[in-house]
Amino acid sequence: MSAPNTATGPAPNTATKPGFAKRLSGVELAASVQMTIKARELKAAGKPVITLTTGEPNFDSPPQAVEAAHQAALHGDTKYPPQDGTRALKQAIQRKFKRDSNLDYALDEIIVSNGGKQCLFNAILATVDPGDEVVIPVPSWIAYAQMVQLCEAEPVLVTCPQNNGFKPRPEDIDAAITPRTKWLILNNPNNPTGACCSAAEIAAIAEVMRKHPHVWILSDDMYEHLVFDGFRFSTFAEVAPDLKDRTLTVTGVSKTYAMTGWRVGFAGGPKPLIKAMTVMQGQATAGISTVGQAAAAAALDGPQDGVEEQIVAYKRRRDLAVDMLNAAKGISCHKPEGAFYVFPNVAGCLGKTTIDGRMLNNDEDVCLALLEEQYVATVHGAAYHMSPFLRISTATADDELAEGLRRIQTFCEGLR
Amino acid sequence: MSLTAERLDRIQPSLTIAISTVARRMTAEGKNVISLSQGEPDFDTPQNIKDAAIRALANGETKYTDVSGTQGLRKAVALKFKRDSGIDYKPEEVMVSTGAKQVLFNAMLATLNAGDEVIIPSPCWVSYPDIVTLADGKPVLVPCSQNNGFKMRAEDLEAAITPKTRWFMLNNPCNPTGAGYSAEDLKPICEVLMRHPHVWALTDDIYDSLVYGDFKPSTIVAVEPRLKDRTLTVHGVSKAYAMTGWRIGFAGGPVALIKAMDKLQSQSTSNPNSIAQAAAIEALTGQQETVEEMRKVFEQRRDLVVEMLNQAPGVHCSNPDGAFYVYPSIVGCIGKTSKGGTLIKDDEAFALALLAEEGVATVHGAAFCYPGYIRVSYASATEQLRDACTRIQRFCQGLH
Repeated sequence: MSAPNTATGPAPNTATKPGFAKRLSGVELAASVQMTIKARELKAAGKPVITLTTGEPNFDSPPQAVEAAHQAALHGDTKYPPQDGTRALKQAIQRKFKRDSNLDYALDEIIVSNGGKQCLFNAILATVDPGDEVVIPVPSWIAYAQMVQLCEAEPVLVTCPQNNGFKPRPEDIDAAITPRTKWLILNNPNNPTGACCSAAEIAAIAEVMRKHPHVWILSDDMYEHLVFDGFRFSTFAEVAPDLKDRTLTVTGVSKTYAMTGWRVGFAGGPKPLIKAMTVMQGQATAGISTVGQAAAAAALDGPQDGVEEQIVAYKRRRDLAVDMLNAAKGISCHKPEGAFYVFPNVAGCLGKTTIDGRMLNNDEDVCLALLEEQYVATVHGAAYHMSPFLRISTATADDELAEGLRRIQTFCEGLR
Repeated sequence: MSLTAERLDRIQPSLTIAISTVARRMTAEGKNVISLSQGEPDFDTPQNIKDAAIRALANGETKYTDVSGTQGLRKAVALKFKRDSGIDYKPEEVMVSTGAKQVLFNAMLATLNAGDEVIIPSPCWVSYPDIVTLADGKPVLVPCSQNNGFKMRAEDLEAAITPKTRWFMLNNPCNPTGAGYSAEDLKPICEVLMRHPHVWALTDDIYDSLVYGDFKPSTIVAVEPRLKDRTLTVHGVSKAYAMTGWRIGFAGGPVALIKAMDKLQSQSTSNPNSIAQAAAIEALTGQQETVEEMRKVFEQRRDLVVEMLNQAPGVHCSNPDGAFYVYPSIVGCIGKTSKGGTLIKDDEAFALALLAEEGVATVHGAAFCYPGYIRVSYASATEQLRDACTRIQRFCQGLH
C-alpha cells in the first residue's frame, strides 16, 4: 500500500471513460448459457422449443435436503458461517469421501464452496501465475480454460479422440507437460462427452504423473455417481494414494442430488492447498449460504435411493439418445459410460444444405439451424474445444427428449 | 515451484487472528467473554423472509437461476434503489452476487490491470485493499481524521487522483467508523469526480438503512446523476435484514460494467443460492417495519456505548451517524501499563490486554489500516453492552 500521490499536476489521464481489465478479454459467457438464452427467447415468442442444452437434472432436490433447509431457516441458522464451510457439513463430506472413495481427509483438508465451480476457481486463482500452463484434456467443460485465462496463464489442450472413447491417452498428457505446467485437470465422467476413465486407465495416467512431481492433479468428479452398465467409478487419489498430497478431489451435490440452484460444491486436498483456496474464497465471497449447507449435509447423510432412480432414468435416456442419433443420417454417436450428455459427431452433415436453404459449414451452423428450423436447442462441440460435434443433454423428460431426437432425425433427413 | 500464486502471496495474513484465537480459547475455558468484534446484527432474520424461503423450498426453486440473479430479484433490487435512494436502475443494470463482497471482487477483477490505483478512504474494511491487491491493483489509502468525523475531504481526494487511478471506493456509512456522508458531504466529492472522467466510483451503501438522529443518507448517483454511467452502487440484505448467512449482495451500474462482472461470476460461482434469492425478494419488497425496529434499537445502543466509552479515561469516542460500530481513539491509553502489568504500546496491545484482563473482545484499529483506535460493534444485546462498557471503563481506570 502506498501513500496518496501528493505531487501537483501529474499528466492528465485523457481517457474519457474508465476501462476494463485485460484478464477479461477472451472470457465469454458460456456457449451453453448463450444457447439457453436463445432458446428461451424463441419460447417466449411462442415457438415449441425443446431445450437439450442444460447441465441440470430435471429431478427435484431430495426431501431430506429441503426439510433440513427449512429447519435451518426456522432455527435461525442464518448468521455468517465459517469461510471454509460449517463443521457439520465438513463432517458429512468426510464420511462421503470415505464411503464412496475410501479417501481419508481431515476437516482442515476439506473446503466447501459455491458449487464445484468455485472450488476450481479458488484452486486455479490461488496457484496459477501469468505464464504458467494448465493441461486440459478436451473436449472439456469450457470453464476450465476460461479460469486459466483469467490468471493470464496458458491452457494447454490435449485432444481425446472419439476413437479412444474421448479419453486422454497417457502419452499425450506426458508430451503436453513442461516445466511451467502447474496442473492437470481430469473430469470423470466428462462434460460434454460422458466418457469415464476406468481405474486401470487412471492408473496409467498416474504413472505419467509420477514422472512430473511439480504438477498438481485436479480430479473433477461432479458426475461420479452417474455411471451405467455396472461401470465402477474411481477417483485419482483413490487409484494413486501416493499422489494424494498433490491431488485435489472436487465434487458436489448439484448433479447427484439435483441441487444445482443451491450452489454447494466441495473439495478434499492437502492442507496447504485447502488453506490457500480458503484465503482466495475469503476474498471472493466469504462463506456459503447456510441453508444450502444444511441441505447438502442432509443430502450426503440421508438415504441414497433417489440417486439409484436417477441413474436408471439417465441410462434409459442415454440408450434412447444414442440409438436415435445413430439412426439419423450423417450422425454417429458414441455410447458413453456416464454423466447426462451424449456427444454425437455431425461430420456427415457438413457441406450440406438444410430444407430452409442454410449451408452447414461447421458444427455451430448445425446447432443454429437445428434451433431455428426444428426448435431443438443443443450446444456445438467447438464450445468444448472439439468439432464437429453437438452436446446433447439427457437431463430432460423422456417424451421431450424423444421428440427432440425425432426432430433431429427429420432435420438430417432434409439435408441435401 | 511455489504452490501459491503471487497474487495470493500479496494478501497479508489477517491481523485479527491473534485476538480471535485468544477469545476462542478463553470461551472454551469457560471464561465470561463478551464479543464486541462481530460484523453482523444479533437479530434473527425476520419471519416473513424465512417464510418466503420456505415457500420457495415448497415450490422447488432449487434449479440454476440466471447467473446475475432471477428476474424477480433484479426487479426487486431496482425497486429498492428507487424507493430508498431515488435512483433508477433497469433490471439489466442490476447484478446479484454471493454477498456484497463478491460484488466488489467481481468489479475489481473485471477492471483492474497491474499497477492501477484504487483510492480508499481509511479507516476502511480490510477487504477493500485486500481485494484490490488480489486483482493486481494498488490500494491508495487516504486517511480521514477523527477531527473531520472520519470523512474524506474533497481536496484530499483530488490530491490522490493520478492518471493511474481506476476507482474511488467509498463506504457510506462506513465500517469501522460509522461515518455517514449526507448529500451535502457528497457534493464536493462528486465535483472532484466529475473532473476526472477516467475514474470509476464505487459506493458501498450496505449500512445505509441503519442511520441515526437527523442524519439523512445519500449516495453518489442521487447527488450527481451525471456520474451514473461510471458508478457502481453496491448494497445487500445482510445488515438491514439480519441476513448475513444467506449471502446475498447486489449492485446497480452501467450495463457494460454489469456485463463484465456477470462474465466473471459465470466463471467463478454462477448464480447465488436460489432459495436465498427468493428470501431476498421478500426482504426488499415485503414489510419494512422490522428494519425500523432494529434501527431504533441500534440507535439506543449507540447512544449508550458512546456515552459510556467517553467516561473511560484515555478514550475519546465520536458519535457516528450510522452502521453498528463506534471507533474510539485509545491514544490516551498508549504508553501506560494495565493492572495485569501489560505495557499498552499500541492499539493491538490495548485490545489484547482488554480481552485477557476483562474478557471483552474488540478489533484493533490497525486491522482497519488506521491504528490508535479500536472498533466496538454494538450488535449485541443492550445489557451485554452495558456490562462490556463497564469493564472497559474499569480497564482504563486501572491503567497507570
